[in-house]
Amino acid sequence: MKIFSGVFKKVALFTLFLIPMLSTLSFGQNISVTATVDKNRLTLEDVLQLSIVIQGTQNTPPPELPSLPDFRITSAGTSSSTQYINTQRSVSITYNYRLTPMNTGTIVIGSARVRANGKTYSTQPITIEVLKPSKRQSAESKAAFAEATLSSKKAYIGEQLVYTFRLFHRVEAKNLDLKLPFDKIWFDKEELGEPNAYIKVVNGLQYHVQELSIALFPLKKGRLKIPAAIIELDLLHKTQNRSRQDPFSRFFGRRTQAEHKILRSQPISIEVLPLPDGAPKGFKNLIGQFRISAEVGKRDLEVGDTTTLTVTVSGQGNVRDISFEEPDLRNYFKIYPDKPEFSQTVQNNQIRGEKVFKFALVPLEAGNRTLPKFSMAYFDSANAQYRITETRPISLTIRPSSIKEELNLVQSGQQNLPMVKPEIETLGTDILPIYTELDKFQNNGSYSSAFIAAGFGSPVVLFIISAFLIKRQNRMKYDMAFYRRRNAYKNASQRLKQISEHSDLSAPKEFARELSEILREYIGDKLNLQGKAITAEEVEARLKESHYEPGQAEGTRRLLEKCETLQYAPMTRGSTKELLGESEKMIKVLEKQS
Amino acid sequence: MKHALAFFLFLVLTLSTSLPTEASDYLNEIVRANGLYAEKHYAESAQAYESLIDKGVQNGYLYYNLGNAYIRMGKTGPAVLNYVRALKWIPRDENLEANLKFAIQQTRDKIELPPPGTLNVLLFWVHDLNFHELVVFTIGLNIIFWVNLALWMYFPFLKVVRNALLCFLFLSFVSIGVKIKNESDLKLGVVLAENVEVKSGRAGDAVTLFQLHEGALVTVTGKHDNWLEIRLNDEQKGWVPQNSLGT
Repeated sequence: MKIFSGVFKKVALFTLFLIPMLSTLSFGQNISVTATVDKNRLTLEDVLQLSIVIQGTQNTPPPELPSLPDFRITSAGTSSSTQYINTQRSVSITYNYRLTPMNTGTIVIGSARVRANGKTYSTQPITIEVLKPSKRQSAESKAAFAEATLSSKKAYIGEQLVYTFRLFHRVEAKNLDLKLPFDKIWFDKEELGEPNAYIKVVNGLQYHVQELSIALFPLKKGRLKIPAAIIELDLLHKTQNRSRQDPFSRFFGRRTQAEHKILRSQPISIEVLPLPDGAPKGFKNLIGQFRISAEVGKRDLEVGDTTTLTVTVSGQGNVRDISFEEPDLRNYFKIYPDKPEFSQTVQNNQIRGEKVFKFALVPLEAGNRTLPKFSMAYFDSANAQYRITETRPISLTIRPSSIKEELNLVQSGQQNLPMVKPEIETLGTDILPIYTELDKFQNNGSYSSAFIAAGFGSPVVLFIISAFLIKRQNRMKYDMAFYRRRNAYKNASQRLKQISEHSDLSAPKEFARELSEILREYIGDKLNLQGKAITAEEVEARLKESHYEPGQAEGTRRLLEKCETLQYAPMTRGSTKELLGESEKMIKVLEKQS
Repeated sequence: MKHALAFFLFLVLTLSTSLPTEASDYLNEIVRANGLYAEKHYAESAQAYESLIDKGVQNGYLYYNLGNAYIRMGKTGPAVLNYVRALKWIPRDENLEANLKFAIQQTRDKIELPPPGTLNVLLFWVHDLNFHELVVFTIGLNIIFWVNLALWMYFPFLKVVRNALLCFLFLSFVSIGVKIKNESDLKLGVVLAENVEVKSGRAGDAVTLFQLHEGALVTVTGKHDNWLEIRLNDEQKGWVPQNSLGT
């Protein structure tokens, strides 16, 4: 048993030695977590840097910070490092936080917890002392300080107050972050423009001043405290770190050192008073100083003309809340309101502005009219009493309309007409009577298809006829061959008639020559040839070419030869008549064939 | 050519001046029926109007007066039916519109006329003109177009007018087509019976889908034997006996 107990002890000792060795080998390093701060004593103007360093691993979730109601915490990033010392690798990660103290006193920063490799590691608590800023220093040589002022410590509900925050700094200030303390339940606020920057001497020291003003309108009565405004900033201090003997140090030796500061203004107490009783009729929570004015575009106008009534309310206070109801002039004018125009300026940190109400007035009746005074009730906060500002009456001369036409203006359905037409009550309904005019009772039996066909077809037919006639007329005008062919028979007939009536049959040679000419001209017109110049054989040939019957062509040739023969041979009276008749017959035959 | 022209003129004049025969008898009957109505003998008056219609007279005012007579008799079904018939002839008549509205209000179902389709909204004038007016208008436009076409051969600047007239003529023909389609497809029917059961099929023992009452306006979509297929809307349709409906 002793042998066994001796061996057991050795194994146990070996195991005790081996376990840490194995753990080191398996996890590389021991994990340790430490929390550090950059200082243990600070003022409300300072910022505390809290660093939580986790050694042995870099793969951890962010630390769980303890509850710190006395600080405002902002993350300042993380940093990690890896080191090799004698082949030993060590890693760490640092989580940085910026803690802004909100209260003075001794404050304990509790343990922060870190979870790594399934274990939870905790830091040691740290005790911090937060002091008030040194008054001596602020009064004398502070690099920067802040202050806030209120235009009045006592105000009525709705009265305009001006809250002014000023930052005084002697060194360059960067990364300004201002947090104003207003509660929406207590105040309605309105910006008063961009911040002002100027230089001011305080206790003989020159400061740069950044000034921001805000208009505040109290919403509730009571005594309240406006908390301090907080501004965070970086002050850039310039330091000289090189020897004064170094000639370059004058130019290159200055170094800038940033100091993160939190500056607070003093809280301000204010008493908000309710508005006193006795508000006049028409008072609509206007608080400040206001005046009202009115003017019209034209004072002399006709019925139906338009003039513009402009009512301007201007002043200092809650100008945005100004409202003006449409004047009651409906018995004499039609009124068309325009959209109010609003403008606002900031003068001496006070909101001033005006609201312009315009109404188009159209007179309904002729006569001299006086627009009544328009008034506006407000509470004069400076003198703590209600006041009424009013316009002067405005006289208008309205002449009858020069246009003899009934005024017929369109008016919005939302507006009430001065003379509302009484609604006629329906007492009963019935059908409308029968028709008795006999001309209405023509039988409307359907149209026959012949009528419809004629109605649609006849214009087409008439058009075709017209088109044919027009085309023919155009051809007669421009186609000479067509013209000659169409008029050949007519001309020949006329000339044959003339020759039979007027020619001297006692001169047979002349008669035969003229007859031959008529025949040749007829054939020339028909065939578009120079008829007088062609021979009888040519006439026959041309007629045959033009598809005349060969017999007729030959007959024509013979007739022409006969005429030529007779011009040189004696003729009797009877033979001339026979020749004339033969020619007429021949022309008719040819005409039929053409 | 002159003969052809004369023939066509004769044809057109002959056809366009055809008048109804026995016009005086017809007008005397109208006067008599109107007189009966004035004397509040509405039943006799309605009978006189009906007899004229039976003789083949087709006149919107005659249907209107007949509708009035039936309204006075308290028969909203025939009244609505004759007003609807009158609409075919005198679609723009304001009195007719008012009386039809009144008659529909007297019915139990109070079914209004079906709204016009998209094509009828686009060709809005088709609703306001009866078929005869559309035809006469188109014939007139047709004549103007062809005359213009002939003139255009002389005066080429009339080309724009020619094209415009062609468009109008085309539109008129389309309008006639739409009118014909409307009158053939959208056949309105009016319930004449006091109460009619709309069945799911063409049999008396078929399921009753819904009930209609006298004067109800329906669209007749089909006919089979003695049954008419009717439709109120996309969902409500069925069959009714033919004798219960006037078309």
